[in-house]
Amino acid sequence: MMRKMKAQETTALHAQNVRKSFGTRSNVQQVLKGIDLRVEEGEFIGIMGPSGSGKTTLLNVLATIDRATEGTILIGGSDISKMRDAKMAAFRRSQLGFIFQDYNLLDTLTVKENILLPVTLGKRGNKKAEDEFQTIADSLGITELADKYPHEISGGQKQRTAAARALINQPSMVFADEPTGALDSKSASSLLGNLADVNEQRSVTIMMVTHDPLASSYCSRVAFLKDGQIYSELYKGAKTRQAFFQEILNVQAVLGGDSVDAL
Amino acid sequence: MSRPCSEVTALTLFDLVLRSMRKNLKLYYLYFFALISSVVMYFVFATLQHTPVIVEQGGNSMTTSFQIAGVLVLLIAGIFVVYANAIFLTRRSQEIGLFQLIGLQKNTVAKILAAENLLLGAGALVIGIAVGLLVSRVFLLLLLKLIGLETIIELTFSATAIIQTIALFFVIFLLTTIQMVFTVYRSSLLALFSSQKKGEHPKQPSTAKSAVLALLGAGLIGFSYWLSTQMLNEQLFLNMFLVLAAIIPGTYLIFRVTISWVLYKIRKRHDGHLGLVNSLSLAPLMHRMKGNANSLTAITILSAMTLTMIAVSYSYYYATEKETGAMMPFDFMFEDDAAGADEISRELEESGIAYERGIMETVVAVGGFENGALPVSSSPYDMRLSVVSDEALRQAGIDIDAPASGTASFHTTSSASLFIDAVSLPVNIHFNDDNETAVSVTEVGDGNVINWSSFTSQLVVDEATYSQLKASLAGEDVALQRIDGFHITDEEQVAAASAIYQQGKYTSRGPHVDYYSSYQEALQANGMLIFIAGFLGLVFLISTGSILYFKQMTEAEQEKKSYETLRQLGFSVGEIMRGIIRKQLFVFGLPLIVGLVHSLFAINVASYFFQTDIAVPTIIALAAYTLIYLMFAFLTVGYYRKVVKAAL
Repeated sequence: MMRKMKAQETTALHAQNVRKSFGTRSNVQQVLKGIDLRVEEGEFIGIMGPSGSGKTTLLNVLATIDRATEGTILIGGSDISKMRDAKMAAFRRSQLGFIFQDYNLLDTLTVKENILLPVTLGKRGNKKAEDEFQTIADSLGITELADKYPHEISGGQKQRTAAARALINQPSMVFADEPTGALDSKSASSLLGNLADVNEQRSVTIMMVTHDPLASSYCSRVAFLKDGQIYSELYKGAKTRQAFFQEILNVQAVLGGDSVDAL
Repeated sequence: MSRPCSEVTALTLFDLVLRSMRKNLKLYYLYFFALISSVVMYFVFATLQHTPVIVEQGGNSMTTSFQIAGVLVLLIAGIFVVYANAIFLTRRSQEIGLFQLIGLQKNTVAKILAAENLLLGAGALVIGIAVGLLVSRVFLLLLLKLIGLETIIELTFSATAIIQTIALFFVIFLLTTIQMVFTVYRSSLLALFSSQKKGEHPKQPSTAKSAVLALLGAGLIGFSYWLSTQMLNEQLFLNMFLVLAAIIPGTYLIFRVTISWVLYKIRKRHDGHLGLVNSLSLAPLMHRMKGNANSLTAITILSAMTLTMIAVSYSYYYATEKETGAMMPFDFMFEDDAAGADEISRELEESGIAYERGIMETVVAVGGFENGALPVSSSPYDMRLSVVSDEALRQAGIDIDAPASGTASFHTTSSASLFIDAVSLPVNIHFNDDNETAVSVTEVGDGNVINWSSFTSQLVVDEATYSQLKASLAGEDVALQRIDGFHITDEEQVAAASAIYQQGKYTSRGPHVDYYSSYQEALQANGMLIFIAGFLGLVFLISTGSILYFKQMTEAEQEKKSYETLRQLGFSVGEIMRGIIRKQLFVFGLPLIVGLVHSLFAINVASYFFQTDIAVPTIIALAAYTLIYLMFAFLTVGYYRKVVKAAL
């Protein structure tokens, strides 16, 4: 893999002056007010902020699900802000992985079918996809569930299935939108541990939006959003997770907002 | 509650009704359209039933036909409305639950729904009757054209038809209102909120059981197909019943078990590597096979019935001329009545009508096929047979090939023609005469060589054989008959000649049917048949097509979330649509194909009642049906495309 050979300093994502407005001409609401963000390869970055600060909008724009009104976004050197819709979709499928709060698994498919869904285009043979599936399912502990349907498994298992689906295409970047939002604390910790492992072992770049300080304490960096702008950033560095968690709580207290529902 | 408060509530309630109707308009428009078309069709039938031209010209049989057709339209409309209503109720269960959750009482919710339903029904009635008034003249013209009547028509405004339509459809709408109220009162909030999510999860079918059932389904269908080719014997009605009794459960098993089983096997082979197209077709189909089996079976059987009905009636209409021609090779004829023939010859000449008159001699005797030749057990001597030589026929203007010496070719349009295809040639015909004469039949010809009015089947032999048979046949049942057959040379004069022939002085002295008036009569009957069958078929088709469309619409809404996910994962609309189109091919194609095959076997049975080949009219009718049916598939795919596009 090219990106493993490269130095740690390679940029996975670079957003410059990203703005996003909604509404009609007479009633424009600017949600993102000029975001500059650089994510290095192999980083596990958390985006935090109170409700309405633009977290999810930022994630959607960076993840090519939505378009920015202004600004440039480079992912792995490709300028996605200039891509046409079809090309953007193809880019999304081949280069990016997604984990959503409510799992977004297809009810009619088994765990294995759900995980292998993005492989569809068949650039790789079934054998290779099968190996990849086994590796990922093993590391996430869901091999046993392969033939089960989503309604037969727990929330934590569903989210690990979603994580496996996000990883199956060996994406250059994974976007996670409140992945622990619907999980109990035990399942949440277990999933976050999995993500951290994946981030380390497979050196996958992960961007995670969350309002849970505990969840973001698993990250290597946390960016705080307020009113559509980046308010501050914290790096974990060599700190323990507990210490990092405390720091996050402190910033959140200053920021206000939804610190109450954090714990 | 104080008075102002209740006024506020009343206003809000009406407001709610209007709002929810506006919101559901998208959902309703095809339902509304189907309702309107049912009203239009019923109203047209009701109007025609009371139209003076029809009452005078068609007499009792026509008005009765319209009455029966009207009842069938009502029946189908009733079933359709109740079924569609059930689908909508499921779709709107969340809304109904929400109304209750915000504190509206059950009877208030029921009132909202009832008001909505009655408004919708009243709208459909008003529009349907208005359109019906506009188009019934067109329909009347079409009918008159079909039955070959050229009179100046006057369509009277029939108040009876309007009242009849309003009253009967009001009953149908009342029925659906009761159904709605019942749903609201009976279901719990929890059930209302989860009823849209109901679905099944395909389990591994127990191999032995489903293999047996799958084979049973295929076996039942195979049996009824086989029986349908063997059914023309004495147990005709028992056989028809058996075919129906086998084909309906057979079709159900095919949809419920056989197909699920095949799909399961295919899925299993993929071992998780399903691919997008299969994920959007195979998986959701398996997910809903249990629920869909009922409606797919109903639609298949209904399609098969409709297809058979329109194909057979169109064939009757299409083949009217040929069929009448097959029964009456002469425009008219006289039997043992040279005087009558001479008289009409003079009269024709006076009127300047050119004709050919053929005189021939036949031997009329009673006889029958050798024992065991026919699939029905019949006494051996039960047919009246005219023996005639090919030479005499040719001289009388009937073009015919000479059979080999000593053999005969058999011609009939009597009930024996139903079974004649089952007879293996050559076969002996024995006469019931003193000398026990027999002749070998080596071929079966198309239609009669002597008008059916002589009530005989005919044996055509060569001159020498004729002489032999004439010499041999003797007894009380044997008679020589003189036939004077007339051909009108100029087609334009056939009607005039028919009018001359139909005078009492000719018709009173023997067979009084002629080709032209029989043709007119058949055209009227068959025109009527295709008119009614065509429009009934259309109502059936619109109903079945709409129901498939509604069901798919509901599925599309339920799967919206999946499409959003797929779009987020980076699949394009086109890629997703490919999977959806595959699913629609299955949902629409399978009942159509199975229905078509069913109907082909049924039409094959019906074809025995025809003297002529009905392949062409059958293909035309089936193709027309398929085309209109596929329009619903296109509508459905269009709806899905909208949903997928809007998903992200």
